[in-house]
Amino acid sequence: MVVYSFYIFDRHAECIYKRRWLPRPTSIVGKSRSEAAPTGLGQTVRSSDDDSKLVFGTVFSLRNMVRKLGGEDDNFVSFTTSQYKLHYYETPTNTKFVMLTDLKSPSMRIALQQIYINLFVEYVVKNPLSPTEHPGGVGVNNELFEESLEQFVVCVI
Amino acid sequence: MPSTDRGVFSLIIINKAGGLIYQREFQAGLHKLSTNDYLVLAGTFHGVHAITRSITPKIPSVQPPSPATSSPSTTAPAASSYSYPNPGVPVTGLDYLETDKFRLTCFQTLTGTKFLLFTDPLTGNVDTIVQKIYELYADFVMKNPFYQIEMPVRCEAFDRHLGAWLRGRA
Amino acid sequence: MAAPPRHATMLSISNGDKPAQAQPQTQQTTLPQSPGLRVPSNRKTIYDRHLNRSRNAESSRASFAFLFGEMVTYAQRRVTGIQDLEKRLNEQGYPLGLRLLDLLFYRSTSTSSSALSSSSTSSSPPNRPLRIITLLHLIHGPLWRLLFGRAADALEHSVSPDTPNEYMITDNDPLVNTYISVPREMSMLNCAAFVAGIIEGVCDGCGFETKVSAHNQPTDLWPSRTVFLVRFGDAVMEREKVLERSGVK
Repeated sequence: MVVYSFYIFDRHAECIYKRRWLPRPTSIVGKSRSEAAPTGLGQTVRSSDDDSKLVFGTVFSLRNMVRKLGGEDDNFVSFTTSQYKLHYYETPTNTKFVMLTDLKSPSMRIALQQIYINLFVEYVVKNPLSPTEHPGGVGVNNELFEESLEQFVVCVI
Repeated sequence: MPSTDRGVFSLIIINKAGGLIYQREFQAGLHKLSTNDYLVLAGTFHGVHAITRSITPKIPSVQPPSPATSSPSTTAPAASSYSYPNPGVPVTGLDYLETDKFRLTCFQTLTGTKFLLFTDPLTGNVDTIVQKIYELYADFVMKNPFYQIEMPVRCEAFDRHLGAWLRGRA
Repeated sequence: MAAPPRHATMLSISNGDKPAQAQPQTQQTTLPQSPGLRVPSNRKTIYDRHLNRSRNAESSRASFAFLFGEMVTYAQRRVTGIQDLEKRLNEQGYPLGLRLLDLLFYRSTSTSSSALSSSSTSSSPPNRPLRIITLLHLIHGPLWRLLFGRAADALEHSVSPDTPNEYMITDNDPLVNTYISVPREMSMLNCAAFVAGIIEGVCDGCGFETKVSAHNQPTDLWPSRTVFLVRFGDAVMEREKVLERSGVK
């Protein structure tokens, strides 16, 4: 399976982390770019900046719709189009994890949960230097988190 | 064989402008909304559907003069040439949505009408159900001289056949 | 009765072969005198074809549904009410019935009459019906089969002594109403008024002055069950008595 991109949104609807991967066939081309991306996460790549807003708008609307119909404890897990699959995981603190993969991927709910528990909480939340809020879109700029996420996506998935 | 007799909760039909033209509940399972909320839901979904289509990942195509990629122009390729993940398949918006409690199947006709079917997550053959509903719609709604196109569907024969068919399956 | 087949074929057929399609382009220029009529290369038009050729052919139900839908929409323009609309539909069916009658007779005489003539008419070679019962059987059986591919579901005489001139023909699921849902505010309307018009035309063509109307009589099993109420005129009833006395069948 292929992971296309990954987003984290905080409780203020701010995109605090964004990462795009290119599919493996073009991995050589992709590497050089993904190496460049982390340095100025999110805000440097202009074309994907709007994307993150659209992604947030989508998951936010769908989440509200699902809650209205299924009840407050219902949550949407994923949706698919003819081209990709979007996985969604929301923590009790309203932080939202979104991952776009190809259609063959199984449910990524557990994987997203692990990213939250094992990576985000460990390296970002517990990091005393990391800001708790991200006003103005500072974003998660944390090498340890970056690297382990990269590893997680490459190895586990 | 998957259990096909699981529930179909409800059906919503949205016209090409995003207006709600049909809403019917077949089986309890989802919260009931007010008519106004259903209208809002239809409009919202219409917009979200278009967005889910536009955020389709674009894969930069590998071009013959690939040495260029080592140059600093790292932001360029996203704009220039790209392909979609499944090149042979037309790009659609949201087709299926899964939650803990239900599964939403969205079928968009070539003319832009959307059928939203809410089913139990375990319901099988959802595509067959949607196709049949489309068929009944084409028969009993579009062939009805009293139906005004793009307006709310109030066709007793459509309701009757839809209900009978779904009951026949259950 | 200039051209019965053209109208009759509207309902009973779709032509098995399409002459116009085979027409080579070169022929078109040689026939400027017939702009409306498409003439195939062998110069045989639909009017040159044998009438029995399309007797077992069927037209698509969907195309009929769309055509009839348009007819209803057309009739709905500038109508004053439901009765007016039904009257217009009736008027659309009436000429069809008149013309259809010729085709019906033609087909039932020119063939072995095994398929078309019902049990009641099989005893004698099919003539123009003279008595009411014979006429009604003609409608209930052969006419219904010609139009809808099956006989009607019931034929009854009014039980009320006040209205001996009333007969009822029942169709459990009229073809014309298959896809039609009448809006609640027009619940009295029955689009089978068109079929009622055809029946009226057939009766009139046979020399029976009649008024036919279509009424909804839904049952749980047959939600679009329709009763066609056939009301014969006084002159017809009088003649019927005379014919009965003189033993005409």
